[in-house]
Amino acid sequence: MGENVVGQSVRRPDLVEKVTGAAEYCVDVTMPGMAHAKVVRSDRAHARITGIDVAEALAAPGVVAVVTAADIASLHARFGHIITDHWILAPDKVRYYGEPVAVVVAETVAAAADAVELVRVSYEDLPAVMDAEAALADGAPLVHEQAYEATGDESFKNLSHVDEGDGAQQVPSNVAHEVTIGWGEVDAAFADSAVVVENTVHFPMLYAYAMEPYNAVASYAEGALSVVSTAQHPYMVRDDLARVFDLPLSRVRVTSPYLGGGYGSKSYTKVEPLASVASWVTGRPVKLTLTVEEAIYTTRVDSAKIWVKSGFAADGTILAREFDVVMDSGAYADNSPLVMAKTVNRCFGPYRVPNLRVRGLSVYTNTSPASSYRGFGAPQGALAGETNLDRAAEQLGISGADIRRRNLVRKGEEILPGKRGIDADIPADLEMVVESLERDRKDVPYYGIGFGCTASDAGAYPISTAQVRIQIDGSVLVLSGSTEMGQGSRSLLAQVAAEELGVDLAVVKVVQSDTSVTPYERTTGASRTSTLVGLALQRACADARSRMRDMAAELFECAPGEVRDRPGAVAAPDGRELDFGSVVRQWFGGSAGEVTGVGLLRRDGATQKMPPFWEVGMVGVAVEIDPETGVVAVDQLVTVADVGFAINPRAVEGQDLGAATQGLGMALHEELVYDGPQLANANVVDYRVPRTTDLPRKIDLMIAERRDGVGPYGAKGAGEGTLNPIGGAVAAAVARAVGRWPDRLPLTPERVWRLMNRD
Amino acid sequence: MTLPPFALVRPTTLDEALRELTEDSVPYCGGTELLLAMRAGLHRPDALVDLKRIPELTGVRAGDGMLVIGAAERHADLATHPLILERLPVFARMEKHIGNARVRNQGSIGGNLCFAEPKSDVATLLMALEASVTLVSPGGRRTVTVEELIVGPYYAEKEPDEILVDVRIPLRDGLRGAYVKFQTMERPTVGVAVLADDAAGWYRLGVGAVGEVPLAWSFGSLAEIDPDDIASRVDPTPDLAGSEEYKRHVTAVYVRRALAKLEQVSS
Ligand SMILES: Cc1cc2nc3c(=O)[nH]c(=O)nc-3n(C[C@H](O)[C@H](O)[C@H](O)COP(=O)(O)OP(=O)(O)OC[C@H]3O[C@@H](n4cnc5c(N)ncnc54)[C@H](O)[C@@H]3O)c2cc1C
Repeated sequence: MGENVVGQSVRRPDLVEKVTGAAEYCVDVTMPGMAHAKVVRSDRAHARITGIDVAEALAAPGVVAVVTAADIASLHARFGHIITDHWILAPDKVRYYGEPVAVVVAETVAAAADAVELVRVSYEDLPAVMDAEAALADGAPLVHEQAYEATGDESFKNLSHVDEGDGAQQVPSNVAHEVTIGWGEVDAAFADSAVVVENTVHFPMLYAYAMEPYNAVASYAEGALSVVSTAQHPYMVRDDLARVFDLPLSRVRVTSPYLGGGYGSKSYTKVEPLASVASWVTGRPVKLTLTVEEAIYTTRVDSAKIWVKSGFAADGTILAREFDVVMDSGAYADNSPLVMAKTVNRCFGPYRVPNLRVRGLSVYTNTSPASSYRGFGAPQGALAGETNLDRAAEQLGISGADIRRRNLVRKGEEILPGKRGIDADIPADLEMVVESLERDRKDVPYYGIGFGCTASDAGAYPISTAQVRIQIDGSVLVLSGSTEMGQGSRSLLAQVAAEELGVDLAVVKVVQSDTSVTPYERTTGASRTSTLVGLALQRACADARSRMRDMAAELFECAPGEVRDRPGAVAAPDGRELDFGSVVRQWFGGSAGEVTGVGLLRRDGATQKMPPFWEVGMVGVAVEIDPETGVVAVDQLVTVADVGFAINPRAVEGQDLGAATQGLGMALHEELVYDGPQLANANVVDYRVPRTTDLPRKIDLMIAERRDGVGPYGAKGAGEGTLNPIGGAVAAAVARAVGRWPDRLPLTPERVWRLMNRD
Repeated sequence: MTLPPFALVRPTTLDEALRELTEDSVPYCGGTELLLAMRAGLHRPDALVDLKRIPELTGVRAGDGMLVIGAAERHADLATHPLILERLPVFARMEKHIGNARVRNQGSIGGNLCFAEPKSDVATLLMALEASVTLVSPGGRRTVTVEELIVGPYYAEKEPDEILVDVRIPLRDGLRGAYVKFQTMERPTVGVAVLADDAAGWYRLGVGAVGEVPLAWSFGSLAEIDPDDIASRVDPTPDLAGSEEYKRHVTAVYVRRALAKLEQVSS
């Protein structure tokens, strides 16, 4: 519709530097006079700390300091954006194997690593709870004996849309967070159902593997803190750090260079407090870089056990659904309460569910803390909801497509009362997937097709700001507090600015993620950047244009209302044109100056209703199984990106292929396995992520563009949706290939072989 | 973990290298195993003695009914070496599918044997081929079979002051061979080598990666090889790739697949 730059698969500006290795990541950043930190970690799951002897470590060559909880007791030494339960350094007891107990600061990484071995921590073991079941048992030992104040993060309530448990737990327990939602008369509807289908699924404990492990370099000097880190949400980290040191927000600067992947694992605060307190104690800039193993012990993905029951009329119409979700959230809450809140919203799917009851428990255990993961609870929830639907179809004698056709909501219908109606044509997306899968169905034994749908309340809380700065040569700086973590946001934002201002894409430069330079952005997550930053940026461009017109009116000596917009320029009523650069130069005089446009977005107008948009997940797979070994080969992968409008189609395809591949990892290979207090596979040799050779034979990445989003040009976000239904789709495909329903992921060769050979 | 500091010694003759070796000064070739072990804190030598510049440890040649491969030869080069492709294609194919591109381009055949990683393809096939190795120490030179060398997981029967110089594989005219492996993780779950010299009535089967050490047996004919019997002879190590029961099962499957593949190989 007349756009020139958006809608094109332009080459991303960071492509060459990333491929050649020239791009600067956080791990490459140094600060003058920097010392190096290594972390002393707990070697047990749950124990009281009875003493820490640092003398020998302090005496070792090159050691600057050994920081323990006692050294930072005068600070607010905890963080956590929802529940501030996360101790920077374990003060009196450790709650999981791998928990930071002390930080050794030394002149070199090797000296720090050597001295870590010399810190003697004495413990008195406590009984541990290694899984959710043990943690919920009567008389279970407590992971946290105390309750913590909430941070007062207002938007958490708005985001989660649930009846929170009353928060203040009367009796201390291992429940970190509890949520329930529901409506209608569930029990009565079950009683009226022709068919009731009930099953339980187990979602594996995962690690959102990103190539760059967590790292940060921090400098605390003269009452100000400056941190460069792998933070996905630098502003959120700034807020946590300001609380720790009781500093004004303006005196904390968090910068995130390119991130080597995140997938949720880099949302919120991770290693920044460790590096910061080490700098605060030593008065030197301190760099801390974790290994992959340490990264796995820093944040993992919530595992879940989900019981689901659905009642249907004889024709397959859903009458009621009920879910019971228990998540193992590890030793600290981190973002798990939000993950849980999202799971309960996302488990029942984009269907008409007249009666619903969902209960969710996020449980503390003595394991690595869990937090955000691409899809936010949807991968967990959808595995339950979607396999339950497919099992029901089998019992009802109808196809997996038909049961969905009967129950999918149409455009505009609400799936959460009072929330935004569905802004997508999901039934049409389903037909695209089914058609593609069936077209290439192979007629061979042990072959099965599965597909699934999800709708996620995406976009997170709509607070976004952006700036454009028009230079005297007409080139444009775009400033955004969002983060580039591989998703290609720099080309997307540049495209929007170039489109709005009518300038050449080559003169637009995007600058991101520096809390002292780039304007506020709440988060880079929930697939929000194209939609929400895109809107803020459109407004910033409109603001810049309006200033240009005002300035040009002075130069043209006409009324501002008479000045016309032209591509990269303005025009007077008499037809005289001035390009942006000329306007700036002539208005300021002296060939200098610039014009800044500001765009602000809040819950208002088009973004009043939550969520800002629904992210549809629509995928299908076909699998072929080796019956002798149980190996599952993926023959087809079919996805639909229901993005409203693809600002950069290739970027959308990249997101979908990446998300789907990550989903195939969780469906077929990935699982963190605890063996006693410790993980058996906290490394990427034994934690098996997808490889190029695992890629499906046929990959069909489709884009549905119906301009039905609130974002620029009708766009909605992408990035998470395609991962969400993959687990259920693979489980259903395997079930159809072997004639039995699996109840857990990943479907490793042995699990499939056992499923086939079980009596 | 970070690599601890160490000295790097780069001898250019075998004698020089032998003089450098002590308990704390160890041989280093591709480093694919050694450096990982050092990073994991399992091993902390003061010095690494780089073997890659010693001529005696390089090259591939045939003579006296033997194929002789220098210990420092890398997997990637062996996979494409014309002499190996011509005389022992089953070995070249096995080398082609080792680990990943980085391991193949860096890891050596000698390092593979000396590290005695239980999940090795190389040792399994070499054992089936009745190969031996030459070990040299300041005190002299000896030849041992691969079977004698690989005595346990991560345990090669050699002295710290011995260097593995070459691998010697007896050549047989008209040898047919197949090597297949089942691999779902980073390393094989089971590898099966089957070799047939029909004229000599010589038949060998090797099974590796599944237990602590590879095993190999001789048979009077291919028909004597009973996959289920072989599966009962191995002692699988249960791990993340599978339970003992499952690994025994896939051992039988892959013995069957190896035999089927051999049928397609002409001499
Ligand atoms: C990720 C990964 C995947 C792998 N996958 C496979 C696979 O699929 N199949 C397979 O068979 N193997 C596999 N390997 C093993 C690989 O083949 C070996 O790591 C490699 O060949 C070892 O050789 P190197 O030269 O790197 O040894 P180094 O690491 O240099 O040395 C290993 C050990 O041997 C000693 N050493 C080395 N050379 C000599 C010598 N000439 N004389 C005396 N001592 C010596 C060293 O002191 C050290 O103790 C894998 C390894 C990795 C890391």
